Amino acid sequence: MKKKKVLLDGSGNEITVVKKSSRRVVVNVIYYTCGAVLSLFFLFPLIYMLAVSTKSDASIAASAGTLEMFLPDFKNIGSMFSNYKKLFVEYEIGKYALNSIRYAIIVIVLNVIINGLAGYVLAKFRIPGKNFFTFIILFLIVVPVETSIVPLYMIVKQLLNIKGTASILGIILPATISVFNMFLFMQFFQGIPKDYEEAARMDGAGNLAIFFKIILPLSKPIVATVAVFCFIGVWNDYLWPTMILVNYPDLMPIQSALTTIQSIEGITTGEVMASLVITSIPIFIVYVAAQKYIVQGFGTAGLKV
Amino acid sequence: MTKLTVLIFAVMAAVFLGVVAYDLARAKKTHTQFHIKHCAVGFLMIGPAVVLSFVFIMLPILFSLGYAFTDYQLLTPDKVKFIGFDNIADIFKEIFSGGELLTAIKNTAIFVVCVVPLQIIMALGLALFCSRKVRGAAIFKVCFFAPVVISLTVTSYLWLTILDPAETGLFNSLLGAFGIPPQDFLRDPDTAMLWIVLLSAWQGCGYQMLIFLSGLTNIRSDLYEAARLDGANAWKRFVNITVPGLKSSVLYITITVFIGACRIMVQPMLMTGYQEHTVTLSYFMYKQGYDFGFVGKSSAVALLMTIFIGLITFIQKKVLSEK
Repeated sequence: MKKKKVLLDGSGNEITVVKKSSRRVVVNVIYYTCGAVLSLFFLFPLIYMLAVSTKSDASIAASAGTLEMFLPDFKNIGSMFSNYKKLFVEYEIGKYALNSIRYAIIVIVLNVIINGLAGYVLAKFRIPGKNFFTFIILFLIVVPVETSIVPLYMIVKQLLNIKGTASILGIILPATISVFNMFLFMQFFQGIPKDYEEAARMDGAGNLAIFFKIILPLSKPIVATVAVFCFIGVWNDYLWPTMILVNYPDLMPIQSALTTIQSIEGITTGEVMASLVITSIPIFIVYVAAQKYIVQGFGTAGLKV
Repeated sequence: MTKLTVLIFAVMAAVFLGVVAYDLARAKKTHTQFHIKHCAVGFLMIGPAVVLSFVFIMLPILFSLGYAFTDYQLLTPDKVKFIGFDNIADIFKEIFSGGELLTAIKNTAIFVVCVVPLQIIMALGLALFCSRKVRGAAIFKVCFFAPVVISLTVTSYLWLTILDPAETGLFNSLLGAFGIPPQDFLRDPDTAMLWIVLLSAWQGCGYQMLIFLSGLTNIRSDLYEAARLDGANAWKRFVNITVPGLKSSVLYITITVFIGACRIMVQPMLMTGYQEHTVTLSYFMYKQGYDFGFVGKSSAVALLMTIFIGLITFIQKKVLSEK
């Protein structure tokens, strides 16, 4: 494709080169065809979601069975976004999205500080009982936490007695602690040479100042990874917020609100699909923008454990 | 509950003090010292994490463990009685008499047995496909990964629409083109679970593909060159270089996919509701504990499930790391 090598030192050579390149073209054609088919397999539901989100019930019925199922409603181009408009104006989906964003930001800040500090101590401090802590962290990573979701609910509701608008604490607080993130931080901090801290200590900086002014800025990649994971975690979490906020629909994050919107009387398929699109767009943006850090996190997660 | 928490806290504190005393004694033996100020700052900094992980991770696990042996009910928390192994005996009785729990176990087993191999093979295939060094492979990678990004809630509602039993649903309108009458895919006891398997693999395998890809890039390329020079064909290179090179990735992926599959719950919950042909173990547990308030029974199921998952994970680790 790029360069044509023509060898002139023998009569047969030229023919082999041509043969090889034509074989490569065939292989490439097969490769790209397979790739396109596979991509379609993974993308068709998403394309369908986008297409249906622009349609009214009548247009969905009209396009059923034809290729137009996968195309936006070009026939009624004027009302293409009426489903979206209705969601924002009548069903207030923006409010729920804003809730999600608020929770995510608080969780990111607290999670980075709390787990970062813990990881810093585990990586750099000599305190009695440290090995014990590290052992417990490694143990807690392995134990599946989901099986204890009912006791966690009881702790939040009965032991801590979190009720009313304070219920958002019930969403935020459990999300601020993550042994996995603590472990990521610990591993990263262990790789930072001691010289940086010692130089700062000579200048009279305290431990907190060293952490916030030296260690965290040096650890931008891991902070970004943790922040992205936190955002995805909070944005995509469904079950826990639904359990906690079942009586406070106004405080619900967007995933829990989807269930509410879905069960509104008289809602059309197009509107449901539009609500799914709205829910998915921010997470797509985060994935595209923070791709590097996500892959980094996967790499650490995939190979170290 | 408060009393129990104090008790647990006291036990943990005692264990911790014991560990500290042990560390201090050892430090004395080896003639190293702990600086008091340094230690105090360290404890302060790790403090919030310790408190939060105690309350929100340790306590739920311990409570779940403890309640498995009581008749705790969500609405009457004051009348807790220790009933020993009655819950677990009840569970086994229910399993052997073919109750709801047996159906839940059966459904979960079907899901796990289908989805684990399917998802791993799909992920490995996609990773090998994307690892070819040609233009456009990166775009394919993004396409395959796209479903991972969306949430379980969105996936469930999206597929619910695609599998709509009405004639206008995507799959039914395709079937209609061949003259087949509309099917109610998710109500049909024979196919409902398989659709959930399919859409779970569809959504999940992009994630494992990335892990396989990072495993593939860690295999040294000169190994392939050497094998090619020795005349090994593509299949031989795959078996002798790629497969051994991916061992740690396969181990990690098998275990995480397995554990994730055992916990499946949101998809059946949103797509079919509490139906006999799709209720899974986690869903059963959640329903018993949260909706019906039988925390004791729910915790006992959780305990058995955790033990079972741990056991299988251990066996998988042993078997896969020996090969």
